[in-house]
Amino acid sequence: MSEAERAGVEIIALSPDANEQSQKLADGLHLAYRFVADRDLAVARSWGLVHARGGPTGQDVPRPTTVVLDRDGVVRWFSISRNYQVRPDPADVLRAVRAL
Amino acid sequence: MTSGRLAALSLLVALGALAAYALLLRVPLVRNHPEGYVVAFAVATGLAGLAVLRARRRRWPARLALALSGLLLVGGAWFDFVAARVPVAASVLRVGERPPDFRLDDASGRTVTLSDYRGQKPVVLVFYRGHW
Repeated sequence: MSEAERAGVEIIALSPDANEQSQKLADGLHLAYRFVADRDLAVARSWGLVHARGGPTGQDVPRPTTVVLDRDGVVRWFSISRNYQVRPDPADVLRAVRAL
Repeated sequence: MTSGRLAALSLLVALGALAAYALLLRVPLVRNHPEGYVVAFAVATGLAGLAVLRARRRRWPARLALALSGLLLVGGAWFDFVAARVPVAASVLRVGERPPDFRLDDASGRTVTLSDYRGQKPVVLVFYRGHW
């Protein structure tokens, strides 16, 4: 994604991690994302995106999901992983963003 | 090919696949085809099996290669086809619909409200499992 496009789109990353943990990840990867803490998975749960007991110690975790929302907050594209090793190809996300 | 060479080739394929997957995890084509390492482990197991069949005197290299590649094959297949599966379930996401609003704190302590972006700019949301 070019700088101009990046400026025109907000990327928000949600996870049950504490904010300090996410900040470390953001700094390490040099990511211009806004990391938010969905500590108790309240958002993931209300959106139907919880993989029950999917974590390594049997805790609930989010289903890896990417959602593209247009300026009106309407879903234009989304992908929910069926295997947590697999994530959407960035090229597909970019195509969805460019199509807005 | 001699038994020893087949055993060495088997180890090379198995460990090479493991290393390649770990090193190239950032490449979408590699990351999104985890069955690739299962196939590589199956090939390695096949080569090691052939090595065991052809072994005449020194049998342990072939047996070692078979044990290792077989273990990787079973472990890899279990991980990819069982452990890493995410059950399919209904979500609220529908193309053309607006999902429920949320309000969460970000790392700098500021509150992020999804509806604040309405009329402002598009948003890409990434739900990830986290690092525990």
